[in-house]
Parts: sequence; structure tokens; C-alpha cells
Amino acid sequence: MTELLQQLVDGIGRGSIYALLALGIAVIFGVMHLVNFAHGELITVSAYVSYALFTLGLDWWVLVPAILASSMLTALGIEFAAFRWVRNSSDFTMVLTSFGVHFVVQAIFVMAVSANRRTFARPGWLFETVSVGGVNLEIYDLVVIGFTLITLAGTVWLVRRTMFGMTLRAAAEDFEAARLMGVRSNRVIRGAFVLSGILAGVASIFWLMRTGQADPTAGLTPMLKGVLAALIGGLGSLGGAVLGGLALGLVEVLLISRLPDGLVGLTDGMVFVCIALLFVFRPQGMVTIRRAERV
Amino acid sequence: MRNDPARHVLRPVLGSVVLFGLLVGGALAYTSTGGAARDDLVTQMLINAIVVTGIGVYVGNTGVMSFGHIGFGAIAGYTFAVLAISPERKAQIIPDAPFGLADVSLHPAMATLAAIGVTLVAAFIIGLGLTRSGARTGAISAAVITLALLFVVHEVARNWTDLTGGGRSGISFSLGNKLESRTWIYVLLFVSILVARLFRQTRVGRLAQAAREDDLAARAVGINPATQQMVALLLSVVIVAVGSALRVYVLGVITPRFFFFEYTLITLAMLIVGGRNSVTGALLGVVVMTIGLEGMRYAAGPDVNVAALDWLLRDGLTGIFLGGAMLGFMIFRSSGLLDDWELDTWLLRRRWRRRSVGSDTPPVAAESPPAQASSLAASDVTVDFGGFRALEGAHVGVEGDEVVGLIGPNGAGKTTLLNVIGGVVVPSSGRCIAAGRDLTGATPHVVARGGLVRTFQNLRLFGSLTTLENVEIAALVAERHRPGRAGPDAETLLRGVGLWELRERRARELDYGNARRLELARAAAARPDFLLLDEPTSGMSDAESLEMIHRVRTTAGAIGAGVLVIDHDLNFIIGICDRVYTLDQGKVIAVGTPAEIQANPLVQAAYLGSDAGRDRGGP
Repeated sequence: MTELLQQLVDGIGRGSIYALLALGIAVIFGVMHLVNFAHGELITVSAYVSYALFTLGLDWWVLVPAILASSMLTALGIEFAAFRWVRNSSDFTMVLTSFGVHFVVQAIFVMAVSANRRTFARPGWLFETVSVGGVNLEIYDLVVIGFTLITLAGTVWLVRRTMFGMTLRAAAEDFEAARLMGVRSNRVIRGAFVLSGILAGVASIFWLMRTGQADPTAGLTPMLKGVLAALIGGLGSLGGAVLGGLALGLVEVLLISRLPDGLVGLTDGMVFVCIALLFVFRPQGMVTIRRAERV
Repeated sequence: MRNDPARHVLRPVLGSVVLFGLLVGGALAYTSTGGAARDDLVTQMLINAIVVTGIGVYVGNTGVMSFGHIGFGAIAGYTFAVLAISPERKAQIIPDAPFGLADVSLHPAMATLAAIGVTLVAAFIIGLGLTRSGARTGAISAAVITLALLFVVHEVARNWTDLTGGGRSGISFSLGNKLESRTWIYVLLFVSILVARLFRQTRVGRLAQAAREDDLAARAVGINPATQQMVALLLSVVIVAVGSALRVYVLGVITPRFFFFEYTLITLAMLIVGGRNSVTGALLGVVVMTIGLEGMRYAAGPDVNVAALDWLLRDGLTGIFLGGAMLGFMIFRSSGLLDDWELDTWLLRRRWRRRSVGSDTPPVAAESPPAQASSLAASDVTVDFGGFRALEGAHVGVEGDEVVGLIGPNGAGKTTLLNVIGGVVVPSSGRCIAAGRDLTGATPHVVARGGLVRTFQNLRLFGSLTTLENVEIAALVAERHRPGRAGPDAETLLRGVGLWELRERRARELDYGNARRLELARAAAARPDFLLLDEPTSGMSDAESLEMIHRVRTTAGAIGAGVLVIDHDLNFIIGICDRVYTLDQGKVIAVGTPAEIQANPLVQAAYLGSDAGRDRGGP
């Protein structure tokens, strides 16, 4: 029982990070119909920013705002350098563009720094455990869950209560109609990238606190998790993305502790197959936002 | 059309020979002056050419995005390796191979055949999944499903150590020698190029291309894209399997990494840089990317004394090149260097042109086929969109070869009714019967094969195909699926709408009026019993509309088809129709001759408003 509780907390902690990543991917999908396979690059950049600041002798208290800022700026930069020019292109073009971004960013770090792994100090106190009623919990998980809740609350407020949130939702519903109503496409898309950058920033703070390392492919795994979670949630749906992230985290933790050794390596693959099967058997329910097409 | 071997067989064969000659000639010229390193590079390039050509057969012809082909390659590669290597070697690296595979040892050729077989089975299953998910041009679902395949194969390969040797060491072996394998590579490369090039000209290939250009329009002339996509997938997977088996054979080793993300993106980059829609483009992309990547490696410094930094720098530069090429082409030229340009088409273009211009006969007045004793009737059709009732008990009928109009104010449900008849919208209730067949709820391609072919309000042509090809595609479908129905040939139809002179023009380059005329000719080429026209004159001037009346009449007459036409232009409707149905708010409020409709007070109230003198309704 206590073991299950521990796993639940662990799973929700893990899932919170996935949820933040998935939410960023869903926001972009909503306004651009782009599955952003370059979302992980935001984490790669954050990892190197952390590494750079650490070598300067700075601590996590400085890193946190720096990561948020760099992640946001990178998201904007990628939009400006790449995605802006393929708006309204086919899915094919946009997906390959995101892979192109992935390669270029990765190569830049290989050239500018090194292909080898760089490490920096993890905040040790976070990984101590506290005992709550017999259940041993990592402070880290509690912090992650807490800050994720705050971030999600902020996002909900932004999307529901602000003018920007309204234009974002309108654009996700029907981009052309939103434009005709006076929503400025540049602004809403840039805003979506800023939002996804901040969300990825929060996620990368937690991700990097745990891994404590930077390498050119640092973003690959979190990107994959984010995309999977967003797919589970039904791509453009924001609430779905959050639920998808939590579900993915829980399933992972529960599977890893229960599967026999030989099958643990197949966890990602199995999740992927389940999603593919959903696409095969319920294509209408998976992508909740489609480009309205009149015949 | 099909009985034109020069265009569809001879020319592609010649083109394949020339392409193969150029590629291998260039490769030999390059290796003749260099050492073993150059040999290896060229071998790799030629094998990549096979794989990329294979991927192009699917991605190019169908336009469906696939990240899974290298996953198929991994299946083929492992099957080949496990079957081909000797039991002694297996005893060293994979002694616990399941299914008694540890004792099997096949000749490399047999192992390749087995690899093709296993991969085909996997491809068939994935193909069914893609069909079920409604894979369409560029659809996200196709990307997800194929990506899932790539990841699953990778993870299985990494974890099923008994069979695959696991993630690190994989399976290594030594088979045959390099020179012998080069002969095989030449033969298989030539066959791959030939097959891929010929496939573009086959019936299946051309129908797949039509569906790539516009899925719905393809369905509307009777194409079921699922069939073509499956055939293209299986064929492309065979070629990829061959290339992958060769790759493993030549490298003498396979690990999961060899057929994963990196190789997927390198091969995809080659395909899109050259131009995914042509075989020439795929091969050019392979050459360009190989030269580029090698150039980057060279620029980063020599191989000798590989200090850690050197290696990394090299990786970085090649990565920048690869990513930059992808980004650059997606942003500036997403159709690649050549798009759908084929070398042979260009080499032999003069000959081909001269011949067809020579046959400048006057338009053949097609013999009017016997009037069809068929009828189209949609009755009691109700459609609900969520809470909105778009149609309520609407009906419409066309007898024989009469021309029936369907009018009504904006939002009356005209296009919805046409969509119900055409199979795009499934009605909540009601029936739709044509020529004695119940077509209620049938899918668009079944409806088209049943003799109802439509045009679209917002033009849907096969944009990058030529005017002539647009009509030929429809005729190809009719040949197979409406065998009992004779009709004029493509030339007659195109002359009938005045487009014969523009036959070599791409459909997307036609001006608006011509595009509408082409849609009419394409619909007629599908030999329908009934033509369903959705606003054929929208956006046309009065003079053009008048001309369109003539075109619709002669075209429908030539194929002996009845017509159901929606239009806002009352002059057009009055000029062309025998009978007119008027819809308002989802219900039929009046039926009659144009004169009766004009005089009907209900129609005037609903459609013309109080200003009865106006002759145009709606915008």
C-alpha cells in the first residue's frame, strides 16, 4: 500500500513534467497545426545555459530565471528563424522543418561545446526524502507537483481570462475565422511560442535538477515524452495534454516497477503502439482540432 | 493513354538506363582515381540510392509521410543477418536464437528473399492500419503510426538480445567479398530504378498521384486511394528491404542504431532535397547529399590522428549540413530541386510534343450514346450537424438525360444535398438511389463508380498533373469500373471544353475559367450517368456563364448523362435547366420548369426577396 502510494506520487511527479511539455506542444499545434519535434531543443538549450552558469560559479537561484528566459527566447528564435516561413504549409513540410531545427541546434552544440556529456551539480537537498505517515516521499516530487500546479493555474488564467488567451483559443478553433475577426496571426503565433517556451522552461528546470547534465541530445527523451503525452491527450486539446502527461508518467512508473526486466526497455515502444492503435481505430477522436474543410 | 507504349514504357525504360548509366559512370570515374575509402563511399552511396528510391515509391507517389521505412529496413536487415550467417558464427554471438534459427544458414540471395517476405508481412499490417486511420496526404496519423513502427522495431532490436545480439554489439559477420557484392548492387540498383520509374507510369501509380494531389477529388472520380497506397507501400518496402539487406551484407554488421532515427532522417533528407516526386530527383538528392556530407567531413579535417575534437567537429559540420539542407529546402523549395521532373520526359520531350500536335483533327462529334433509361432520386433526406438541421425531408430527382437545377438562398442546404448524394455527408435519414442502385451512405468512390460524378464549389483539380492527365486519370478509372459505359476519349472531351491546346499545362497554372472547364471535362471523363455540378459558373462573367451553358450541354450530351446543377446565377439556371428545385431552410419549397419557378411567389419570397426584378440571388 505504501509502495503504491509512493509510486503514485512518483508517477504524478514525473507526469507533471510531461504535462508541461505536452501542454507546450499542444499550444503550438493549436495555432499552427504543427507537431513540434523541435520542442526538446528548448531543454537542450536550457541544459547548456545551466552548465555555462554553473561553470561561472552561480547557483540554482540564478539558474531558474535564466532557464525560463533562455527557453522563452529560444522558442521565439526558432519561430522567427524557421517556423514562421512554413506557416500554412503541408504537415509534411512542417514536421520535416521541426526535424531540421532539431538537427541544426544539436550540431551547433556539438561544434560550439562538445558532443561529450557535461555535468553540473544537482541541488542535493531536493532529493532527500521526508516521511509522511509512513510513506517516504522525495521533496523533489512534491516541489515538482506544487510548481506544476501553480504553472497550470497560471496557464488556465492566461487562456481563460486574458485577451491573449481568448485570441489563442479562437485561433485554435478556426484560424481563418479568428483572423477575419481581427486576431493578428503574427502576434498570436508568437505568443503561443512564448507560452510554450515558458512551459518548457519550467519543465526543463525540473528535468535538469534531476539529470544534472547537458549533452547535444539532452532534449530528445523529454521531447518524445511530450509528444507522446500530447498525442494521448488528442493534440490540440490543452486539458487533454495535461491529462496525457499525467497518464504517461503514471503508466511508466507502474509499468517499470511491474514488468519483468526484459520488457522494461519496451515501455516507450508499447506506449507508442497504443497511441498508434488509437489513431488506427479512433482517428476522429484523436486529433481534436482539425482544419475545417469545406466541400 | 494506356495504349501508348512510347510514353508509358519505352521512355521510362530509356530514362532508367540513362539514369543508371550516369550514376554508375560517375561513381566509377570517381573510384578509378582513389583508394579503398572512395570505394566504400561509392558503395554506400549506391546502396543509399536503392533505399531512397524505395522510400520515394511510397512517399513520392502517395504524398503520405512515412518515418517508418527505415523500420522496415531494420526488419529486413535483421532477418537477412540472422538467416545468412553461418551456425558457427551464430554460436558465438547469438547462441540462444529462438525458433531454432541458430542452426539455419541460407544463401545470401535466399536470405534476402526471406527478408523481403517478412518485411512485406509487416508492411501489410502497417498498411492496413494506415488505411483504417484514413491516411491522407501528409496526415499526422500516418507520421505517428510509421514513427511508432520505427521505435518499436528499434526497442525490440535492442532488447531481444537472443535474436539480435542486443544494442551494443549487434550481429557482425563476414560474408563474401566486396567485389562480388558490387555486381549485386549494380543489378539491384538498376532494377530498383526501373521499377520505381515504371511504377510512376502505371495505372496504380498515376491514380496514387491523383490522390496525392487531391484526396477528395480522386474519390469523387471513383478512385479508392487505399488500394493504390497499399500497392505503393508494398512495392516500396520490397525495394527498401533489398537495399537494407545489401547494406547489412556489405557492412558485415547490424546494430539497432544502423536503422534508426539518423538513417531515417538522412534518407528522408536525400529524398526531399532532390525532389520526392520523381525518381531522377531521388537519385540526384542521394548524390548531392553524399557529396555535401563528404565535403563537410573533408572540410573538418583529415581522418588521420583522430583527436577527440576532430571527430566532434566533423559530426557538428555534417549535422549542420543535414539540418540546414532540410530546413532550407522546406522553407524555400519544399518540392525539392527537381519536384516531379524526370530526365526521360525532358530528353524525349520534343519527339513526344511533335507527334501529338500533328494530330490536329477537328473535334470529333461523339456519337450520342443511347439515352440512359436511368434515374437519380434522393428522397426524404434529413441532415443534422450537431443541433443544426441542414436538410429536412429534402428531395431531388433527375430522369434520364434531363438537366435539373437546384437553387436557393445561401444556407438553404444545396451543397449539403449534393454532398449527401456524393457520399461526402451521411444523412440522418433518407435514401439516395441512382440507376436502380441504393447509394445511401456509400463512400464517394463507390458513388462515383455507381455513375454519379461531381464537381466542387471550390475547385479541386490534380494541381501538379497536366490538363490532359487530369482527364486521363478519370478515364482510367472509368475503363476499369464502368466497362459497360462508352464515352468520348480525353481528346474529344478536352476539345469540347476548349482546352486541348492547353493539354500539357499543369492544372494549377490554368486560369479560373479554364480550371472550371477542366473540372467539367474530368467529371465527364469518368463516364457518369449523372453529372453533379456545384456552382460551375461561380466567379464567372455573364459572357463566360453563357459559354458555360453551352459547354455543360454539349459535354453532358456527348456522354448521355443527366445533370444536377447548383448555381446562384439564375440566368444560367434558366438557360440550361429543364426543371428546377428550390430549397429554403433545408426544405424543398417548389419544383417546376424555370418559368414556373420564376413565377412562384414562394420562391420569390424566399429567394429573390421583395425585389423580384433582380436576376441574381446571393453574392
